[in-house]
Amino acid sequence: MSAILYIALKFLSIMAGGIAAGTIGSLTGLGGATVLVPLLTLFYSVPIIYATGASLVSTIATSAGSASAYTREKITNVKIGIGLEIATTAGAIVGSLTAVYINNNNFSYLIYIIFGIVLLGSLIPTVQRGKFEEPVPRKADWSTKLFQLAGSYYDKRLKKKVDYEGVRWWLAEIIMFFAGVISGLLGIGSGALKVLGMDWAMNLPMKVTTTTSNFMIGITAATGSSIYWYNGYIQVFLAAATALGVLIGSFIGAKILMKITNKNIRWIFFAILSFLGVEMLLRGFQKSSLLNISTAIEVALSAVFSVIMILGLYVHTMRGEKVDAKGN
Amino acid sequence: MQKEIDLDLITSYTLRTGVIISLFFILAGTVLLFVRNGGMNHTLSYLSDFNNSFNSHFIPLGGIPAGLASLDGIYYITTGLWVLIFTPISVVFISIIDFLKDKNRLYVLMSIIVLFNLFFAMLVIPRIT
Repeated sequence: MSAILYIALKFLSIMAGGIAAGTIGSLTGLGGATVLVPLLTLFYSVPIIYATGASLVSTIATSAGSASAYTREKITNVKIGIGLEIATTAGAIVGSLTAVYINNNNFSYLIYIIFGIVLLGSLIPTVQRGKFEEPVPRKADWSTKLFQLAGSYYDKRLKKKVDYEGVRWWLAEIIMFFAGVISGLLGIGSGALKVLGMDWAMNLPMKVTTTTSNFMIGITAATGSSIYWYNGYIQVFLAAATALGVLIGSFIGAKILMKITNKNIRWIFFAILSFLGVEMLLRGFQKSSLLNISTAIEVALSAVFSVIMILGLYVHTMRGEKVDAKGN
Repeated sequence: MQKEIDLDLITSYTLRTGVIISLFFILAGTVLLFVRNGGMNHTLSYLSDFNNSFNSHFIPLGGIPAGLASLDGIYYITTGLWVLIFTPISVVFISIIDFLKDKNRLYVLMSIIVLFNLFFAMLVIPRIT
């Protein structure tokens, strides 16, 4: 009996991790997996390939759960999303097959290292974005008309209709291919790259970018999940716990997102992600035996690094706001 | 004038329904695993140990109907996970209808390419790897 109780606790604790990951993932548009994979590997000692497999499936839950709310609000641009899915699904196939190859050949430390780099790298667009709720308009180019990239949505908080025109579709398509590769390889939705593709390349408003990215993540992850499934990288007990947890978390996140400003979002996930990113990087080096430090030092190093990063960002942002205030 | 069918709303309902159905199967499967102390002739402690080699490789999808009928938790969770995988895919189908209605040939073609990629991953790759 106590054995069953122990397993039930294990299930519930993984589920709780999933809830936390799902909430953060939904709030940021990055998908719960970005938090879930480090959580499972670092704190629950799950083999990374099972962690990425479970995360990939759970990512679909996050995506579908919150995309359901956003499409109803008519913020998501389904058309742009599907057009870009050509590249992400193709990328997901390449990425998942690469993951399978890496794991069959015992290079899994590479996944930790790449995960750490991608996680920390996804913070860069976060630092640069967020000053403006609406993008500075750019001149429409040939792809705007051909691929019908214009749209509009009603912003509840600004209480007005926002019109927008996407540009540089081809550039977004290239970025989306890599987003797909990363998604399949690391089991994440790679929302950061998707956001980069739509926010920076296509110049879409942040709300449209995050919600459309959320919508796309599900289709990308579905492609990767099936490849993971057939290769035996989905651990059913684990996937059940994380799917349930992340699903609950994504609903909580979606409810919160509608009410807060873009700026608040950045601070929450920046802190957590930078810590997890350094942790994954160090753990990868550890596993490849390039580095030999104790877990305590590993955690301490990650904590110090993430505090420095957050302080740096805080100072940077505050300075930016002062300049804005003077300018106005 | 004919009343416009709101495809955004249908998409929203489809996503929600898919998630709810999948949630139901995963929950039911989990409960069954605990109540019956395992599934597919494995004990729960074996299934919940990540260092064991039990994974999706050993779950034939063709066994789903029989598995569901015999109240096997593993197959309930499996069904839930595959419903989840098919949920976003069904949205692509809905969009095709939308693009056909608008006679938007370019986007009909693009949706079909997306579906091709999806089914390539599901049907072709398992046979060659």
